[in-house]
Amino acid sequence: MLWKESYEIGVPLIDAQHKELFRRVELFLQVLRSEVCWDEKVQKVNETLEFMKGYVVEHFRDEEEYQQSIGYPGYEAHKQLHTGMVEYVLEFSKKYEQSNNDEQLIQQFGGKLLAWLINHVAAEDQRIADYAKKKG
Amino acid sequence: MKDILYKAFFDATQNAFKLMLNILEVSDHPAGDFKCDDEVDIAIGVTGDLQGKVIYRYPVSTSLNIVNIMSGMQFDAVDAFVTSAVSEIANIISGNVLTALSENDMNCDILPPEQCKLDDDKKYDINTSCHIRTAIGEICLEIRLNRA
Repeated sequence: MLWKESYEIGVPLIDAQHKELFRRVELFLQVLRSEVCWDEKVQKVNETLEFMKGYVVEHFRDEEEYQQSIGYPGYEAHKQLHTGMVEYVLEFSKKYEQSNNDEQLIQQFGGKLLAWLINHVAAEDQRIADYAKKKG
Repeated sequence: MKDILYKAFFDATQNAFKLMLNILEVSDHPAGDFKCDDEVDIAIGVTGDLQGKVIYRYPVSTSLNIVNIMSGMQFDAVDAFVTSAVSEIANIISGNVLTALSENDMNCDILPPEQCKLDDDKKYDINTSCHIRTAIGEICLEIRLNRA
């Protein structure tokens, strides 16, 4: 399982969204890495990509609202990380569509998404939790 | 400057292995001890007050171990997914180093990761290697930078 309890930041809404994000990414990776031929998995992969585009934006918005509510000093820098990832996903999505669903491209996307998500939640988001704890 | 950069890259790598992979055993060793015939080399270009690149040399076995831990799945060969995942880790480590350097008024940017070859005839003001051993394998960072 991709999700680890140590990733929790102690905010129920954000933790629930993180868990859902990890669950979806895990399902995405299972489909992406399955042995079946590309034609069989392309529809499922595309559905997940569409979901991610919407869900990531919704989650980032909620997380940023929380950061503002507690006066998190790293808000601007964190927002930039979110913006960068959303831009990457949208840019990738366009390139992928133009390539007529090229498998190599989506494999590259999967690798980056996995590493980015783990680092973001395990490192960047934990700073929010540390600040909230210190603030009390 | 060479020592500052060496330490910054080692610390950032150690931190990434701890937070992303839960690997706590990370140590640095003489660069000459790093021997590898089959590796994935990823270059991160650097611009700004320092210019050049940092090459992350991941032996194939280390690359696969990293991705196996992150994904909870079994990867047996390096492919586009694995290369992209270890490239992103190189990107994360480099980004964290540059953030740390910016706190000391050293302002640099990084370029997107690219798979590369080690060969390079250029001369650099700072040319050092950081050989890192971890519980899941070794990596070597070739730091090749000029002052702007």
